[in-house]
Order: sequence, then C-alpha cells, then structure tokens
Amino acid sequence: MSWITVLWPMMAAACITLALMQLLVWVRMPSRRAPLLFAIAALSVAAIAGMELAMMRAETAGEFGALQRWLHVPGFVLFVSLVFFVRVYFGAGRLWLAWTVCGLRLIVVAVNFLSDVSVNYKEITALHQVPVWGDAVSVAETVVNPWSRLATLSLLALVVFVVDAAIAVWNRGGEMRRRGALVGSSIALAVTLIAARNFLIHEGFILAPYLISASYMIVIVAMAYELGSDIHRSAQLARELQESDTQLRESEQRFRLVVEEAPNAMVMVDRHGTIALVNAMTEKVFGYRRDELIGRPVDMLLPERIRGTHAGHRGRYVADPSARAMGANRDVYGRHKDGHGILLEVSLNPIRTDKGSYVLASAIDISDRRKMEKAATELREELVHLSRVAMLGELSGSLAHELNQPLAAILSNAQAAQRFLGQDAVNLAEVREILGDIVEDDKRAGEVIRRLRTLLKKDEVQFDVLDVNDLAQEVLKLMRSDLLNRSVAVSTTLAPALPPVSGDRVQLQQVLLNLLINACDAMDHGGRGGKQIVVRSAPAGSVVEVSVADRGRGIPAGDLERIFEPFVTTKSQGLGLGLAVCRTIVAGHGGRIWASNNAGGGATIHFTLPS
Amino acid sequence: MSTTVFLVDDDAAVLKGLRRLLASAGLNVIAFESPQDFLEGLDGDAGGCVVLDYSMPGLNGLELQQALAARGSALPVIFLTGKGDIPTSVRAMKDGAVDFLTKPVDGEVLLAAIRAAIKRDRSQRGERAERTDIERRLATLTAREREVLRLVVAGLLNKQIAAELGTVEKTVKVHRARVMEKMRAGSLAELVRLAGKGGLD
Repeated sequence: MSWITVLWPMMAAACITLALMQLLVWVRMPSRRAPLLFAIAALSVAAIAGMELAMMRAETAGEFGALQRWLHVPGFVLFVSLVFFVRVYFGAGRLWLAWTVCGLRLIVVAVNFLSDVSVNYKEITALHQVPVWGDAVSVAETVVNPWSRLATLSLLALVVFVVDAAIAVWNRGGEMRRRGALVGSSIALAVTLIAARNFLIHEGFILAPYLISASYMIVIVAMAYELGSDIHRSAQLARELQESDTQLRESEQRFRLVVEEAPNAMVMVDRHGTIALVNAMTEKVFGYRRDELIGRPVDMLLPERIRGTHAGHRGRYVADPSARAMGANRDVYGRHKDGHGILLEVSLNPIRTDKGSYVLASAIDISDRRKMEKAATELREELVHLSRVAMLGELSGSLAHELNQPLAAILSNAQAAQRFLGQDAVNLAEVREILGDIVEDDKRAGEVIRRLRTLLKKDEVQFDVLDVNDLAQEVLKLMRSDLLNRSVAVSTTLAPALPPVSGDRVQLQQVLLNLLINACDAMDHGGRGGKQIVVRSAPAGSVVEVSVADRGRGIPAGDLERIFEPFVTTKSQGLGLGLAVCRTIVAGHGGRIWASNNAGGGATIHFTLPS
Repeated sequence: MSTTVFLVDDDAAVLKGLRRLLASAGLNVIAFESPQDFLEGLDGDAGGCVVLDYSMPGLNGLELQQALAARGSALPVIFLTGKGDIPTSVRAMKDGAVDFLTKPVDGEVLLAAIRAAIKRDRSQRGERAERTDIERRLATLTAREREVLRLVVAGLLNKQIAAELGTVEKTVKVHRARVMEKMRAGSLAELVRLAGKGGLD
C-alpha cells in the first residue's frame, strides 16, 4: 500500500470528522455561524482531497480533465466559506474585498466550465505516471489555459483579504490578536504554497501532482485548533461564571443580612413611592409586619399632615437623586402603626438597579436621643438659673436699697398727707400732688420687683432682638447702689447705632452682671488709679463685641483660659461657676468669651454676640 | 433765732417725700441732693439739724462732721440708711450721728428725732452763747483783777490774798468789788460758777 493511498483518505476523513464535530456545535448553537462555515470549509477540503486522490489514480486524460474541472466546485465553496469564516469569526476583513474574492472565484468557476478542459488547461496532451514517495501517480502533460491567471489572481485576492483582516485583528489587540495571526498566516501560507506550486507546474518547471488539499489541511487544522480552544474557553468561562454566581449569591445573602440586621430602619422605595423592601428594625420602629408594608405606598409611614407634600418632595428627589439627610435640619416625624409620631433622623440614598431606580431610606428613632439632649439642656439651664439666683444673692443689699428708696418715699409722702389732712386748712392741691408722687413711687418699686423677678424666675430661653447698649444700661441701673457702696466708678463707651443681636435678655443680663461683679471683686483691695470699670460695646465685623475692663490685679497669664472652667476661682469665696456659666450662655448664643490683661493693669473680659 | 432742718438725699423722690413730711410738721426745711451742695450752701450760724442719707456716693460721715466744724457749724446730724445692720449703725455713731434711723422711717419717729436734735442744738447754742458772754466779761478784767479772781475762786480770804499778792487787805477789797461788778456777779457763789464756765484756769 502506498503512502498516498493512506494519507489522502486520512486527510479527507479527518476533515469530515472535524466538520461533523463543528456541525454538531452549530446545531446546538445555530446563532453561532463560525462552526457552520468551518464545517463547510472542512467538507470542501475533504472533497478536494478525494478528487485529488482520484486524479492521481486517473487512467485516461479525459478522466483526469473531468476531475480537474469539477475540482473547482469544492474549491469555490472553500473560498467563500473561508472568506466568511474570517468575517464572522474575527469580525474583520473588508466587505468589498470579500465580495471581490468571491466574485473572482465565481468567474473562475464560470470560465472553468466554459473552457475546453478547465480554467487551467486548454488541453491535456498526455498522462504520465510519475513516482511520488515510492508510488506512481498520474500527472498530466498539458497546454495551459491563459484564463488560469484569473485563478491565480483570485488566490492573490484571497491572500490580500486575509492579510488585511489579520492586520486589523492584530491592531485591535487583546486575546484575538494571536488567533488572527495564526489563522491568517495559515491561510496566507497555504494559498502561497498552492500558487507557487501551480506556477511551477503550469510553467512546466516540474511534473508533479497539485497536492492542494495538503496545503488546505494546514488551514483546516489551524481553524480547528482555534475552534477547539473556543470550546475549552467556554468551559473555563462556564466555570468562572459558576464561581462568580456563587460569589454573587453569597454577597447578595450578605447584603440581605446586613440590611436585615442593620440598627436603622431601612426602607427601599421605588420611583412611585411603593415599598419594595424593609428590614427587621423597620418592623420594630413602625410596628407593622413586613407583609403589611411590602407593595404598599410609603406614605403610610408618614404622619397624615405631611402626606400631601411628601409626593412633591419625592418627585424632586427622584429628579435629582443624591445621598443626603431628609428634612434638611428639621425634625422628621414618622407615623407608628398605632398612630403616634416617631421622631426620626432619615438619610436617603439613590439606588440604581437593572429593574429601575430606588430610594433607600435609612431611619433612626431619635426620640430617646432627643429626650437625653433635652434633659441635658434643662440641666444646663437649671445651672444657669441657679448661678443667677446665687449672683442676685450677692447683690441683695443693693437690690434691697433699690426697693427701699421708693418705699421710703411712699411712707414719707403718705404720712405727710395724713398730717396735712389733719390741719385746719387743708391744702388739697398739695395732697393731690402727694398722691400722684405716691403712685409714681409705687410704680418704681413695682419695676424693681419686676426686674428682680425676671432675673429670679426660671423661664424658657427666649430669643429676642436686643440692643446690647440697652442691656448694659439696665444692668448698670440694677447694680447702681452696689457700685456706690463699693465706691466703684463705671464709665461706658457704647458704640452708637449698634446692630441688634438675637438673644435671651435675662441670660445676657446675667453675663453682664456677672462680669461687673467680678470686676468689682477684683478691685476690692483697691484698684490702680481708683476703682474704675469701663464697659465697652463695638461692632466687629458680623458680631458685636462687649467688654468689661477693671483696674484690679489682672489674671495670671496661665489662667486666662482656665478661669472659664467650672470650679476654678481666684476669689476666697465663690464656687467658680460664674464665668463657666457665662461661657455656656455666650456659646449658646453662638458667641465667644475670652479674657485679656490690660496694658495699664487690670483685666478685661470680652464676649461677642452674632448680630 | 431761726431753726432749719437741712435735708440731704440723692434720691429725688425720697427727698421730696421727706421734705413734705417735715413741712407738714411746720418745720423749716432746706433740701439738698448731695452732701457737696449742702456744705456749699450752709450758713455757719444756722441753727437746727441735718437729716442725711447715709448711703450716698462719696459720703464719709466723719469728713462731713469735720467739714461742718470747719464752717463753724456744730449742727447735730441724723443719719438715715437703707441698711439697719449693726456694723453700719456703729460706724454712723462713731461718725458723730446724734441719731440713726432705718429707711423707710416712720414719720413720728423721724420728727421726734428731729425735735430732740433741734432741742439739743438749741441748748448747746444757749450754752455757747453764755460762755461767750462770760468770756467777754472775763476779758474786761485787768491782770491784777484776774489774779484776785483766781485766788477768790480758789477759796482764799481777803487777808490771805493780800499776803499772797504782797499788798494790803484794803486794796484787795477794792479789786474784788471791781471784779464782782465787771463779772456782774451778785454773790460769791455766782462768781465761782461764772469763772468755772468761763474756763478760768
């Protein structure tokens, strides 16, 4: 048995096997056309191999010629399938070049069947037996058909198309680069080999069979290799997909766990305001069961009074979604199933999914926190009040005097009137005048008591628009007799037309009183150049600055900050709460308080209030 | 002799009320709003008393007394105060107050205090006037007559005085008669009293 008899049927069989395999793939996945095109190409090569074998075994010139002519049919099919394989598999190759190749090849086939023998031969003059690999094969001695150059041209066109496509794939880069190069170069190599051998045979340089199928086998093997590695890749992808699917499921499960166990009530709402997801905390905070919430409008979790406006808010939020807190610094109330309001802090996060946009609302019940804050505020106000009462205790002598004066005037006036009325000639005009004065004095006493009571009673903090200069004058009036008793002179440098400040009148009076008392205390042992206090007010940018300067001994540099701490005092008597309370009050007004020493001795306490 | 109550209080309303009260009692009142005004407007010879608020700025009771003395005035001062505590009272008395009352003060109490003060002023004033008179009489005596007077007051007899002065009893008698006449003393006992009041040493 000769090698040719073995190899050619084997090539054909191999091609058919590969073709069948890819056909099966194509049947499973009809949308993928590459396996189909490969199968057609492989079957064409199998046909070519079979016909070549028959030609090599041909016994007459006629038989040889007929085979040679029909060889162009599978050849044409091979060309077309190769061209479109390249286009489909690599997505590359110029379409006009593809059609040029196919068109040229179609002309070749047409010419082939119109020629005497084939597109290659004008006539076959003789049939020789030529030894190949120890075997004898039939080789024709021929007159070459001039149209055979058209066949060569079609081969060149195919090479041009394939090389061009391969370059395009190469330039695209990535994983396809190598495949493009392999398939492209295999086709170019095969075609070049065939063209070169044809040339040598047709020009009479050698007397040998064509062996076309052997060259095309290179292409088929290269293509089969690539398609085979596709299967391998698919398997790998499937495995990766499975892994990532597992991971996805795990991460989804984790997400659900996180949302479910979150310490906040989480409510996911779609763009129409329908609840899509809630967690355990939501059930706890709002008192609904999960199945009572899912699919229902989120408005059911809001108090009735804001349900109307909420749709508008939600519309605006959907139009401009960004993560932010709800309510913009206002208290947000939710509605419990039993109808009571729940104080909430809500933050909103937009979520985009394949199924559309959602809003994830995360809410914390801050009722307890607010209660604690309120308790702390109350405690602070209590302290402020107590320290005010204690301070007024220090001023009690002064205040008693303020009250005593009008009372003394009233008593004198009243007794004078009694005496006048006891006289023989009653001077009614005088008595009338006396009664008028008594009324005035009584009002004055009432005013003192009112001022006192305002300072003593514990009121809600109430912010009014205040003039700092008025405050300073009022406080100085209150302290007048204390200042006299202690021989302290007060001068004021109050800026005219100060911008008004917003504040609690009583608390700010308390600060000024405290600073004035401290200033007096600082000068108990004599001030430098007389006991003098200077009260100043001045606008300073967006704030009003008030200062109280004394001529005492000043404050050690290291204590300038410390004196505002609670229980820090330089006095022999005193809790050391006064300045701490002042700082609390000033800070509560958005201002600042600090101390400095004067160049000429003594200290100054300054504070600012936003205007 | 006119009697005036000088009223000093820096609180206009209190001043007005007190002035009315005193006026209703028929007292002659002059009111001042500050101690300075009072001192400036004071007539040293004026009689009566001062009613003064003790809780006024810049007031020092002792200095006020000194200022009064410097103006030749010995007016008694009644202090009024808002504070009735012991330290303040003690300080006021040390400062020379004849009385010390707590505001608001009852009219009758104040008037009684004022009347007492005026009476005291009046008697002090009378004593002062008598002493001045005696001193004037003493001033008319010659040196020899003063010596005789001193020895008479010391209880010596005429004979003893003569021996003391180195003269005769008769001369002493003449001097003695002139002293009695100049001093307008009707008896020896009266002469002794006048000499004592006149501060003869």
